[in-house]
Amino acid sequence: MADVKPGMTAKDYSRQLTKAYYEGAKHARENGKFIAYTTAVSPAELFYAHDVIPIYPENHSVMMITHRMTAELSESIERKGYTSHLCAYARSDLGFRELHKSPIGGIPDPDFLLACNAQCFTLTKWFEVLARRYNVPLFVFDTPQFIRDKKAREEIITYVEEQIYEMIESLETLTGKKFDFDRLKEVLEYSRQASILYKTYLDMASYKPSPISIFDALINMAITVYLRGTPEAVQFYRLLVDEVMENKVKKGIGVIENEKYRLYWENLPIWFKFKDHFNFLASYGAVILSSLYVHAWSYDFDPSNPVRTLAENYASVFSNVEMEERAQMALDLFNRYSLNGNFMFLNRSCKAVSFAIHELRDIITEKTGIPALVFESDMGDPRFYSESQIRTRLEAYLETLDQLAFEKMRQF
Amino acid sequence: MGKEKILKDIQDIATDPFAYIKAKKVAGKKAIGSPLADVPAEMVHAAGFLPVTILGTNEPIVKAGAHLPDNACSLARSNLELVLNYRKDTFDGFVFPQVCDTTQHLSDIWRMTIPADFFASFLIPRQVDRKSAKTWFYRETLRLREQLSGFAGAPVTDAALRESFRFYNEVRALLRELYGHKRAFPGTISNREMFDLIRASLFMDPADLIPLLKAFKKEMTEEKEEKRLLPVVLSGIAVEPMQLLNILDDLGVNVVGDELIVGSRMIENDVSENGDPVEALTARHFAKSPYSPIRDRGTRLYDHLVTLVEQTRPAGVIYFHIKFCESQDYDLPDLKQVMREKEMPMIVLDTEYQSVTRAQTKTRLEAFVESLYGERENG
Repeated sequence: MADVKPGMTAKDYSRQLTKAYYEGAKHARENGKFIAYTTAVSPAELFYAHDVIPIYPENHSVMMITHRMTAELSESIERKGYTSHLCAYARSDLGFRELHKSPIGGIPDPDFLLACNAQCFTLTKWFEVLARRYNVPLFVFDTPQFIRDKKAREEIITYVEEQIYEMIESLETLTGKKFDFDRLKEVLEYSRQASILYKTYLDMASYKPSPISIFDALINMAITVYLRGTPEAVQFYRLLVDEVMENKVKKGIGVIENEKYRLYWENLPIWFKFKDHFNFLASYGAVILSSLYVHAWSYDFDPSNPVRTLAENYASVFSNVEMEERAQMALDLFNRYSLNGNFMFLNRSCKAVSFAIHELRDIITEKTGIPALVFESDMGDPRFYSESQIRTRLEAYLETLDQLAFEKMRQF
Repeated sequence: MGKEKILKDIQDIATDPFAYIKAKKVAGKKAIGSPLADVPAEMVHAAGFLPVTILGTNEPIVKAGAHLPDNACSLARSNLELVLNYRKDTFDGFVFPQVCDTTQHLSDIWRMTIPADFFASFLIPRQVDRKSAKTWFYRETLRLREQLSGFAGAPVTDAALRESFRFYNEVRALLRELYGHKRAFPGTISNREMFDLIRASLFMDPADLIPLLKAFKKEMTEEKEEKRLLPVVLSGIAVEPMQLLNILDDLGVNVVGDELIVGSRMIENDVSENGDPVEALTARHFAKSPYSPIRDRGTRLYDHLVTLVEQTRPAGVIYFHIKFCESQDYDLPDLKQVMREKEMPMIVLDTEYQSVTRAQTKTRLEAFVESLYGERENG
């Protein structure tokens, strides 16, 4: 795709990679390549190993959301009978297919669809709509809940492994080409390295003050979502980690001044508001540092055993484990990053991440003693976002933290 | 016993099964509850328990709202309310299936909130279009067998399983016969009655139900003069509240076919009484008609309704949409399109378990049925 040129920042490189990626997709057919739509958490390595271009409608939907196009797109499909209660990604995407409006000129039509339900069930139904529309195969990559039973886990992994072989067969049918397992190992090695570097980057939130916020993580995670498995993703995260280390960590510069509150964020972000939220919170000395969501792409691959490692990593993502285990994953972030506040966003768009949030809160609050703010809105649809109500609640929560800190100080 | 008395006995249980379940518990049976979706009742029965399908409550939501937000599907909230509040002492354990995001999380909430001596997740495949799904269903059913054996304190034997297959096959065969009779002789069994019979089979021990169904069957007569009822097909997951079926009866329509989950899908296939019993349960699972959350082969989800309509030739289709069931939400626009292309009138009713005022639904149904009569007369 492209190498890092001298003097290039991570941001420049990311832009160049993104541009090249979408250009490549646009001209895929001229170059005799196939396009597969896939879900953000899915064994996309199989596509890179087989020279099929993976496209992520979710990423495209985020672009439409941040360009404030979702209400218009959604209304166009609500007129067709879809309800406004569906996922805002799905509504933006289906709306794009009605109105052909997109901030990047759209994404090409698919030849193949892969939906992995470790991430959510919604995607399988959304992609089912697309499968009918384009009359292309849909492969539902089924990952049963990764329950905490050793024997069940072994069996789940076997089932997922069997599906990886089925998926390979489907790709061979699509392209007429034999699948190359050596190439898969190579791709997985790139994914492994990119994941380690991405995690190193996320873990920089443990510095005090933190050189990164979740908002940086949300922007920089895009490359691992759609380019993991490529050498460029490795180069990007190496550049990014070095840059933050040199420019921020070594100089002790935090992402905000006077950092007082280091916050956890549960769920996906409110995409069209996250910059506003960052600025608003910064004025209170508060910064959101992490979430399980951004860690969903912190994989731990073993390329020597490619099928097994794909099965293990994609079945065990945070959205597919039992709530007690998910709470442990979140608590680990609280410990590692010394978090002292907890925003729990009940996202109307995302049932997969939002339901059982009260059970999750109970465990986290009990273990940390930190109060949590649970509030409801939507990650992508401004029609379900109430600015004054949410600001008031965030303010009230920060005041509570202030009060608790004051009382704690008085006790000493 | 006359027809009315037999029917009343069954309908009483179908409407409110809890007195029956309590009596079984007093007699020493443990009740194992499962929310809707493909838990093999035969396996639970063979382990010596009373399998009960949990079908929600029409009583108000009081406690479930603190656990599941209001955009969770009405069936999920209503199921949770039932066990958290109204019937918290009924069940000794649960076998919990997962088919979508809501049921997956409901499983967590349930396990963490409802005290029970036994809880087993039954992780059915959420695709049925590839070989791996069959292998997985087989293994998961074996795992369920082991867990139930553990709770029962004795292994679930092949012989016990085959015995349960015989019982459940007989119930299904009787219900199919009665449904066939209803189709052939409109008016002999009302819509509400037929679905109450099916519903009772989800709560009752087959040993108790079979004699009642047999006695009821004996009372059936072949009406010489066919009542002029309008034939319709029902689609969706469940008809709730059940009183909607009474409305259909009042409007003079006869259900001649359905693809409801609490309906024909429960009774359409039997389990083979020969060979490996777990293999037989697996074969039955894969012979079932489509279920919205489970990824089926190609466009089978739609083709199934088209075939049903072609076979039963109804005047129209009534689709019951459970409020906030997102799986159905995704299906509906294309399903409507398919029916339009077939020139088959279809109405979609948004239903809610806690809906006490059915006036609007009734008005819409009346208008729909009137239009069907109109079309029939003109056509």
